[in-house]
Order: sequence, then C-alpha cells, then structure tokens
Amino acid sequence: MSDSYLDPRPARLSWPSRRAALRLALPALFVAILAFFALAAPGFLSLGNLSSLLLNNFVLLAMVAIGMTCAIAAGGIDLSVGTALDFSALAFVALLNAGSGLPLALGGALLAGTLVGAGNAGLIAGLRISPFLASLGSLFIGTSAQQLLSDGGQPNYLAPEARPDLAGARFFGVPLPLLAVAALAAVYGLALARGRFGRQVLALGNQPLVARYSGLAERRIAAWVFVAGAFACALAGILLAATVNAYVPMSGNAFLMNAIGAVFIGATLNRHGRANIPGTLLGVLFLNVTANGLLLIGWSFYWQQVATGALILLVLVFSFVGRRPGD
Amino acid sequence: MNPSPVEAARPRLGTLLLRRGALLAFAAILLVFALGAPNFLAPGNLANVLAQSAILGILAFGLTTVIVGGGSNVLSGGLDLSVAANLGLSAAVYATLDNAGYGAFAGIGLTLATGLAVGLLNGLVVVGFRLPPLLATLASMNLVAGLELVLTENTVLPSASPLLEWLAFGVWLGVPALAWVLLGVAALLILLIDCTPFGLRLYAVGEYPEAAHAAGIAVRRHVFASYLISGLCGSLAAFCSAAWFSGSTTGSGEMLLSVVAIAFLGTIFSRRLRPSIGGTLLATLLVGFMINGFQLLNISSFWVNGLQGVLILLVVALSGLSRKEP
Repeated sequence: MSDSYLDPRPARLSWPSRRAALRLALPALFVAILAFFALAAPGFLSLGNLSSLLLNNFVLLAMVAIGMTCAIAAGGIDLSVGTALDFSALAFVALLNAGSGLPLALGGALLAGTLVGAGNAGLIAGLRISPFLASLGSLFIGTSAQQLLSDGGQPNYLAPEARPDLAGARFFGVPLPLLAVAALAAVYGLALARGRFGRQVLALGNQPLVARYSGLAERRIAAWVFVAGAFACALAGILLAATVNAYVPMSGNAFLMNAIGAVFIGATLNRHGRANIPGTLLGVLFLNVTANGLLLIGWSFYWQQVATGALILLVLVFSFVGRRPGD
Repeated sequence: MNPSPVEAARPRLGTLLLRRGALLAFAAILLVFALGAPNFLAPGNLANVLAQSAILGILAFGLTTVIVGGGSNVLSGGLDLSVAANLGLSAAVYATLDNAGYGAFAGIGLTLATGLAVGLLNGLVVVGFRLPPLLATLASMNLVAGLELVLTENTVLPSASPLLEWLAFGVWLGVPALAWVLLGVAALLILLIDCTPFGLRLYAVGEYPEAAHAAGIAVRRHVFASYLISGLCGSLAAFCSAAWFSGSTTGSGEMLLSVVAIAFLGTIFSRRLRPSIGGTLLATLLVGFMINGFQLLNISSFWVNGLQGVLILLVVALSGLSRKEP
C-alpha cells in the first residue's frame, strides 16, 4: 500500500508503541467525534436518532462496503458494486410486481446481482482483464442495460399490494436489516480472517507474486471473490428496493465512492494495512456518524461534504504518515 | 521447436496486428458510420465532434499525465479521481467571479489558481504524506465537490463573459474554438511529455521508480508536478465546460468514470500499451465519434455507455493476448 520509492530517507527505527499509537488514530478520532457531537448536538445520543442512523444510513452502505472489502482484500477493486445492487433491486421489483411470491423474488434478486459478479469473474479469470478495467466495463454495460430497460432512468414502483415489509420487520425485537448485516459481516469476516479461503485471498492481495509461485489458483480465487462481493451488494439491492418500495435506475453508484473510502479507512486499523471486515464496519460508521452529527449541529448538506472529505483526509494522513515504507 | 534468436526478436504478424488492432478498429468504426450516415464525414460534423470532445479530452489529458508519472497500477500507481470535481469547482469559481464583476484577468487567473490549488493538495498528500493516490484523490474529490456545492448551492450559475462567448461561438479556419483548445492543449502536453527531458524522466519515474531514483531523478518532484499539471487541466476544462453550458453546471462528478475509461482506453493506441497523451486524444475522439455517429444514425444514446464498456473490455482482452505473462 505504501510507495517506498517516494521516500528516499532511510527507514526510521521501528517503534512498536508509536506505530500502535498511530494505528489507534482512527478509533481515537472516532471517540472524539462522538464526544463532540454528544455535547454539541442536542438529540445526537437520543435513541431515535441513533436507530435511524443505523437503520437508514449504516445498513446499506455497510453491505456494499463488505462486498468491496472482498475485492480490495484480494488486491483488486470493484467499480461495479452499484451495478450488482441495481440489478438485484430491478429483479426484486419486477418479480414482485409480476406476482411471484417473496421467496422467488428474493432468490431472483440475489441471482441477478450475483450474475454481475459472475460476469466480472469471467472477465478477470477467463480473459485476464485487470479487476479495475473489468468492473469498469461492467459498470458501463450495466448502465446501458438499465437505461434501455427503464426508458432512460424512469423508476419502477412496487405495487402497493406487493410491498413486503422487509425493512420494518423485526426478529426478537431486532430489526431484520440489522440482523442481515450482522450475519453478512460475521460470515465474510470469519471467512476472511480465519478461513483457509480468506488466507488465500489475503495472500493474493498482499503478495501476488508469492501467491503465484506457491501455486495458488489465483484466477479462481479472484473469480470467487467477485462473486461473493456481488452477493453482498445484491442483498443491499433487495433492502434498498424494499425500503423505498421502488427500483430507481443507477442509484447504486452513489455508494461506490463511500464504500471505497470506508474500506480504506478500515484498513488503517489493521497492523499491516489490510482490508478487514471489522475495520470496514467502523469506517462506514465513521462516515455515517460524521454526516449525521454535522446535520444535527445545523451544517448545510454542502458543508457536510467538505467536512467529511477533510476528515477522511485527516484520518488517512495520520495513519499513513507514521507508517514505514514497505509495511 | 525453439525459435532462433533472430526470429524470437522479430514480432510475429499476429502480434503486430493486435498492436495495430486498435487503430484498425477505430478506422472500421469510422467507416461504418461514414457508410451509414452520409453527413458523418462532412468537415463541419468532424469539427463539431472535436469541439464536443474538448471537456472530456482535457480532463483525460490530466489523468493521463498522472498515470504516466505514477505508473498504471490502479491501486498503488498514479490516479487522480478529483479531475472531474476540480472542473466543477473551477467553473463555479469562474462563474462566481465573473458575476461579481471581477475583470477578465482576475477571473481567469483565480480560476487557474483554483485548479492548481487542487493539484497542489493532491500532490501534497500523495507525495508529502505518501497516501495511495486512489485514496488521497478520492478524499480530495469529496472535499472539492463539497466546496463546489457550498459555492453554487447545487444550482447552475449562469455566466457570459467575452471569453466564454469566444470559446462557444468563435470559429477560426472553419474550426470551432473549442476544437482548437482541445488540439492546442494536446499539442502542448505532447510536446512536454513526449519531447522534453522532463517527459522522459516522468515516464521513467512512473514505470521504474526504483531505477529512476537510483539514476538520480527527483522522483517525488516529478510525481508532484504531474498532479499540478492535472489540476491545471481541470481548470482549463472548466473554461470549456462553462462556455459549452453558458455557466457552471451541477453534476460534473458524473464525468469521472468516463474520463477514467478514456484515459485507460488510450493506452491501447500505443505500441507498448503505455499511457500517452496522443493515445488519450485518439480515445477521446473515438468516444466522441461514437456518440456523434449514434446520433446521426438515430440509435438511442442509451447504447453508448454499453458499447464503450464492451470496447474497453474487448481491446483490453485482445491486447492482453499480445502481452506475455509477467
């Protein structure tokens, strides 16, 4: 992740304590921001605000960012997360409106979203196109397909009688979307941190040459990573469609840049700067809390974006400036 | 059977075809449009396409310069995601200054300074703080887009200065002013990057940073310069955009992915698949001709994005075949 050639100075002595302190820059800043908003913004800590923050803002971005974490952990990037989300939402709404039951609509939506990932996987593994360009191509093709299907971007609304109450459903008092994110994060997080496949993914992301010479099936790994990532985005698509009761074409792209930002913010938490699921979730929360808090203390939407950009930059500068080249 | 050394050194016909394939594909697309739409090759139409391509093209030149200096690895190499947002902010600054009654020179100067400042910020965080460019410019993109929103409050700021009038409606030798701007900027950058020692060193820094460092090239200074050039391109494109739309526009960030696609598409026009200003110019024109040809043939513009995507994948896959495994 770091560019050693940009630093001609000899590497400084490694100070474990100092580096650990720098790794804590993000959590410390996060706590500081929480404390600031708790004091400055009345109602920030209220149950209503916190639950709306989790349910309306956190859940969707978290799902997309979990999908993005897979691709970035394997050393790639997935620019078509929004396309997978959109296709899933489109299939979900179309199937429900056509009178299929909820199970079929869920299955169809997951399939449609995951197909985008399978397409990427075919391009990456079959044609040896780099993930960045492969998913860029998918994004453009997906945009065209959606424009053609929706007459240039007209939303497709769910018929009132077909609306499933997924977003408001609760299991044992816990909202369903939150449960879905928790399950997704647990499965992906465990697979990435503990599983054999996760170790192969991280090996590919960190040391592609070593992975190649140790005989890892790198293209097969990369292919599965993109399928898994698209599956997470497909879940987000279902949830988005069920929340707004419509399919709005090309709405998934709004998540792209924030998802990338959250993954990289989360990577600063890791000792080796690797993408990881817990870090990603904290990154998403960091972005959500900042936007929410600034809104509550009365900043306009426009200044929120400036402040968010500046804060991300600050976190990144803090976490990278103390890192030795080669880490 | 092992080929003799001489044979091995000579590129085979297939490889040559693949290398030249991009140009052949370009020619084939032009031919299809020319046969299908009689007006396509009319000088007026060609000049029009050049003018329409100016905004995307100049932004893509900036991105190309950064990729030349940083290497084409997307995650760790050179990348400037803030170019499109920079255009938005610069155009908003120009429109605001113009409406506030500042003189032509103050307006132009401060707009260029805005673009340079964005480049300065990117250079500072990438070179000074060693952030990965993807990440650094992602953050600065948000910051810059936010500043644009603060300035415009998400509305269009109309503006009509003599400069914009000239850019929008000026014609010289039958060619619109915007087309001259595109070609002029391209010529300047080709001179700078392909014909000067600075450009040669920039390529060295991008492709072999360690070797460049060992050879005594100031690596960091060159990378920094590439971000300054990109920032300047952002504000130059802002003038074109302000002329085209008679003021600042909202949603300039949507141009970002097209610009990235064009810059990477441009690499297929070079023999060794490296980024170059000339290749980026050709890729810009290819996309411009496609949009224009579709309009003339009355094909829905919804197909343009998809075809652009297929084209990227096709040429990258084909060019990948001609490249050996590393």
